[in-house]
Amino acid sequence: MGLLNRSEWYDIARDTNWTPTYASVDELFPEDMSDTFGLTLEQWNAYDEPYKTTYREYVQVQSKKDSDAYSVKAALARSNFYDNTNVGWQNVLKMHFGAVCGLEYSTVLSAGKMVRFGKAPGWRNMATFGSLDEMRHAQIQLYFAHEFVTKSRQFDWAAKTYQTNSWVAIAGRAMIDDGSMGRDAASMSIMHTFALEQGFTNLQFLGLAADATAMGDHSFANLISSVQTDEARHAQIGTAALKVLLAHGHKEKAQRIVDIAFWRNWRLFVVLTGPSMDYFTPLEKRHQSFKEFILEFIVVQFERALEDLGLDKPWYWDQFLESTSVYHHSGHLEMWFVRQTLFWDHKAGVTPAEREWLEEKYPGWNDRWGRLWDVIAENAREGREDKLFPAALPVICNICSITCGGVPYDGHHIGHWSDFGGRRYYFCSEPCKWIFDVEPERYHGHMSLTDRLLAGQIQPATIEGTLQYLSIMPGERGSDPENYAWAHQCASPTLIHKADVHGHASDRL
Amino acid sequence: MSTQPTSAAEPLKPLRTWSHLAGQRKQPSEYEIVSVNNIFRANPNDKVELSPDVPMNRWYRKYRLQSRLQVDDWNAFRDPEAVTYRAYCTQRDRDEVYVDGLLSQHAEREHDKNLSPAWVDQLAALYTPMRYLVHTAQMATGYAVSLCGGSTVANCLAFQMADQFRWMSRVAYRTAELRSRWPQQNFGQQERACWEKAPAWQGYRELMERVLATYDWGESILALNLVAMPAIDVALEQLRDDARARGDSLTGFLIEAQLQDSARRNRWMKAFMAFVGTRPDNVAFAEEVVARWTPLAQRAAHAYGKAIRPGGGERAQAAFDAAKNFH
Repeated sequence: MGLLNRSEWYDIARDTNWTPTYASVDELFPEDMSDTFGLTLEQWNAYDEPYKTTYREYVQVQSKKDSDAYSVKAALARSNFYDNTNVGWQNVLKMHFGAVCGLEYSTVLSAGKMVRFGKAPGWRNMATFGSLDEMRHAQIQLYFAHEFVTKSRQFDWAAKTYQTNSWVAIAGRAMIDDGSMGRDAASMSIMHTFALEQGFTNLQFLGLAADATAMGDHSFANLISSVQTDEARHAQIGTAALKVLLAHGHKEKAQRIVDIAFWRNWRLFVVLTGPSMDYFTPLEKRHQSFKEFILEFIVVQFERALEDLGLDKPWYWDQFLESTSVYHHSGHLEMWFVRQTLFWDHKAGVTPAEREWLEEKYPGWNDRWGRLWDVIAENAREGREDKLFPAALPVICNICSITCGGVPYDGHHIGHWSDFGGRRYYFCSEPCKWIFDVEPERYHGHMSLTDRLLAGQIQPATIEGTLQYLSIMPGERGSDPENYAWAHQCASPTLIHKADVHGHASDRL
Repeated sequence: MSTQPTSAAEPLKPLRTWSHLAGQRKQPSEYEIVSVNNIFRANPNDKVELSPDVPMNRWYRKYRLQSRLQVDDWNAFRDPEAVTYRAYCTQRDRDEVYVDGLLSQHAEREHDKNLSPAWVDQLAALYTPMRYLVHTAQMATGYAVSLCGGSTVANCLAFQMADQFRWMSRVAYRTAELRSRWPQQNFGQQERACWEKAPAWQGYRELMERVLATYDWGESILALNLVAMPAIDVALEQLRDDARARGDSLTGFLIEAQLQDSARRNRWMKAFMAFVGTRPDNVAFAEEVVARWTPLAQRAAHAYGKAIRPGGGERAQAAFDAAKNFH
């Protein structure tokens, strides 16, 4: 006789619900913290996590994974990869670490909330792994990023982004909090693990690892692949919860929160990953466009996951698909313009060859965004510095905390707003407006950066005052990493559309 | 607004470590680089970046910000053993290799076959229902993690939470082994009834249900780690001793290994108490919490001890009184 197989004892370890009598079920599982769907403990007993792992297996596998990832890093530590790599990739790394580490750690805590308030034992057990996994992701990425702190002060943001008022931090906190810590455990399991981890990050990490491999950044590729394997496991918490909720007739509410979460995740994802893939990654290393990646991975897999569960595509699906050709181009241009607010140097990525690629991948790119870049390039060539920076803070969406941009020449106005409690709230898009309208009480008291400026919280109300409010100081502020060299390459007359748009970009922003 | 992107301030230069650690005299360790200052909140009064009056923000203000357990800077706490995630997994993997060894060696020797029926009854009554108790500790620790103010504390708690999961799993494993050798005892089925009804368990169930329903973060963590967990250790020690006396070496070894995790918890908790204890208000609060929860924990240990053997109740109470003073 040896050791038992997992299947011989696993079910006993997830048979730990009991009937409390010294405190009521409602006291132990308050609705707002536990389950706003209102299922009983008995109903949640049907929860069946598809990916079964025991504690014993977990520490064995994780210890091996860590050993591999840290060894590869140690082996490559002296390779001077960073110094020799492309400026675009250097800034992908700054953006990635700065945007990700703090969000990963926040889920240590929110998974703890599921361990406490989840109503199914298997769910509480999987959330225990989830909490540990997220600690791993925060720690290993902080460790890898720390290697670069001597290279640029911007890498300090790996450890501090979410301790600041940076707009990236506000947008990131707003996105993650609305789908995890700010929700009851049941909603969190759907919004965080299903709509974010299964919908986006699990696949994003696959794409990012592929890009890193193409760049020859084997240490980072190995790290991200390793993180992705954890994500693939604990992302399944939500699928199992959705099955229970749908079996008890909660499709309408489940669908609604999936739709809310997917859109919120998309808004942040598109402005960070979109520019990375279509503007920062060197042309010769790109194997597909951001849109192609989204359609091939995110769309196909998420549509299949929804269909398998009997859920519908979000009501805004057509708008979402359309936005895969739009949002990141507008977002990229806006971010380049407000690059001082960023903790990375925002590469323009619009040399003639790059623009040719963009036009091929996104027919009409030159007419929409190229014309604006022509103006910017001309201003850069002419040394008109004052036109290369914004005159004012862009209007920020009251839901996603990202700029209310749009499609150039396609109606330059903020077309979405709602009135609530005596004031007007502005939104970047119809889905963001819908999220607000579904439950305005969740959002009405949160102040966007625009609201804070108008309320006098940002003093002095200058660009410098704003940058200080965002906690981004000289030495950290993003710049054009090529010092406008690309603009001089753009001097070819065939690429310059003088038209009637001179100065338009700076006026708008 | 001005368009001038200029600033009078001196540009910040790259440092040798994170800016939040750069002021330390010592070069930061790997533990500090990856563990300190990782928790964010929307602003000092709101946990989440949503309306200030959403339930989670109200909960946070009521149960964390208004708790009597407060320090100036949670990030100043350091785990005395400086455990990182990778160190935790490596260490527990080794510990689990040892436990696997215990289990497989005892299985090869047909250990369970040689247990006396009377002792098997005791295991059914007093050991296998333990998975419920340990799981409540896992849940309560999850709560402490969720509302924690500093990541160095949260990490200690998360490892403690995982350790509870570890032992809940091992008790479940043993339950299945005993079920296959002693099918008539209804192992795997009868534990819930013991946990919900048997006198031996009602004290612990009451203790843990009340700990779980305590949402003030400070009271919750102190009641859990200064009173409830030491009281659970007393039950484990008694069961270990009795198992050894009845020739059940496996249960003895397993509980001994489980108590090593308790000792780890006591070590970081001792550092935690020293850390919060620099504020006299916290010491007074901790003393109040211990005084308030001790009678319940004593009753729990007494009832369980009494079920182990005659006189076990008094012995348990004495052991608990000694244990709760460790800090």
